[in-house]
Amino acid sequence: MTTRKGRLVLAALAAAVVSLIAIELALGAGSFGQPRLADPCTATAGSAEGGFNGMVERLARATLDGAACKLHTTREELVLSFVPAAGTHRIRWTRETIDRALRAGLTRAAHNLVGNGIVGDALAFTLTHAVTPLIEQFLQPAR
Amino acid sequence: MAFADSSIVVLALPDLYSRFDTSIVGVSWVITSYNLVLAVCALALVPVLRRVEVSNLSRAGLLVFGGGSIGSAVSGSLPALIVFRCVQGAGAAMLLAGSLALLSALYGSRARGLAVWIAAGTFGAALGPALGGILTQLFDWRAIFVFQAPVALVALVAAIEAHSHPSVGSGATRRMAPNLSLGLLFGALVGALFLAVLMLVSVWGASPIGGAATVSALPAAAFVAHRFAGELSARTAAGAGAALLASGLVALALLPATSVVIVILALALCGTGMGLAVPVLTRRAVAPDHGLVHDGTVTIGARHLGLVLALVLVAPVLSHDLQQGSRDALLGGTKALLNADIPIQQEVPIVLDLRTVVAHAPRGTVPDLAEPFNKRGAANDMRLRQTRDSVVGALQDALTRSFRRALALCALLAALALGPILLARRSGVG
Repeated sequence: MTTRKGRLVLAALAAAVVSLIAIELALGAGSFGQPRLADPCTATAGSAEGGFNGMVERLARATLDGAACKLHTTREELVLSFVPAAGTHRIRWTRETIDRALRAGLTRAAHNLVGNGIVGDALAFTLTHAVTPLIEQFLQPAR
Repeated sequence: MAFADSSIVVLALPDLYSRFDTSIVGVSWVITSYNLVLAVCALALVPVLRRVEVSNLSRAGLLVFGGGSIGSAVSGSLPALIVFRCVQGAGAAMLLAGSLALLSALYGSRARGLAVWIAAGTFGAALGPALGGILTQLFDWRAIFVFQAPVALVALVAAIEAHSHPSVGSGATRRMAPNLSLGLLFGALVGALFLAVLMLVSVWGASPIGGAATVSALPAAAFVAHRFAGELSARTAAGAGAALLASGLVALALLPATSVVIVILALALCGTGMGLAVPVLTRRAVAPDHGLVHDGTVTIGARHLGLVLALVLVAPVLSHDLQQGSRDALLGGTKALLNADIPIQQEVPIVLDLRTVVAHAPRGTVPDLAEPFNKRGAANDMRLRQTRDSVVGALQDALTRSFRRALALCALLAALALGPILLARRSGVG
């Protein structure tokens, strides 16, 4: 026979279960561990430091977004496709395709900077030349 | 010890995984083989128990178990280790088949012997991971098996001293329901004893002793619940226990963060469920007067069969989901890195280093993504440190999520255990 104390403890345990699961759901258990990747075609390059370095950084991120958009993927998938050991076998591009996409992304990013009045034509040209070696460096081990 | 051996190797699985360069399914056979052979041998022994002297069976079982332990300790390959684990399982089946009779003889009464046996069966499996974790960290995975050989020898001496003449009995079909529930509950325990431990050590990077400390919430809660079970009717204890175990596993499946506190709370619920349900169901499955040895052996077979069933179901699900989780982990880590508030000149070399770290990570281990950041002074650079934590966190979060379906499967097994308990309530038996 269950005693009164037994019933009270069972009620407390039931309350503990409900509370724990409610807390978990409130803390975001539903989406926990799922990377929410932005659409590169609509993404902004995000914040960056000011000055020339900040501009280079902003341009490089916009380049990745542009290239990913052109390849109909996300910028994260694009970056990981350069890493054979990452095991993301779903994506296989030729070296030429990636080169073309990245350069198209760079051009698009530079045009956006000029179009938005953030930099002038001359600075965009300089920035483009500053970012190109970074892309080369990034792609080098993937060759 | 034979009860604890079902789960004692869990915290050594990551070591075994990389040592033998195998797959998750492959390494899971170190546990599955022991439990499968134990279950099959225990059930095969049931028809012949009348024709053998059970005390001799236990003594022979201790010898075989000890031999299997030594063989496991010196195994140089995964197939050899699995073979010796099978030898251990066969020895454990013989040992456990006669252990009830031996304990009754040692304690002078069947009821007392049964109570000790039930306690050993309840806490043994729960204590296994903690014990194995401590030995693995202090010494090596082989220490788990080295430790068992002298214990088996001491037990053999005690078994030689004890003289038992119990009635083997024939059992009864009405014991089917509690055995079915016990099998399903032990299958569900795979979630708390194996999956939670693997998650803590392999994904969260806890040390074996740290993992053992966290997992000790399970036997601690089981101990407290066992003492409280007297306040409940037998069927209420069994039903509430199964429901609590299922709820604890759901809580583990629904982790919203890599939080040790939540894991401890969830494991405490699992332990409470175990402490309430297992002793009650075992008492219902084993008749203390007429079918002590027979019923005890059937129960051993049923619970280990449940463990094997769960391992066979869960290992491929986890293996598949970890592959998807690894991909999500890399995407999440890459996203964190691309969104990082650090200069791109600093970022590109880190990306290249991360690529090397991922490429050279030993099989079955989570790559140390913190290392490229630490190498570049993350300790003294707040933005670098924040980026490191975001990248490592994204990796851990995605891999933790990979355990979700396997844990939910275990919760389902615990919920299914409620069926025979509720049906027994309705028909008034079980």
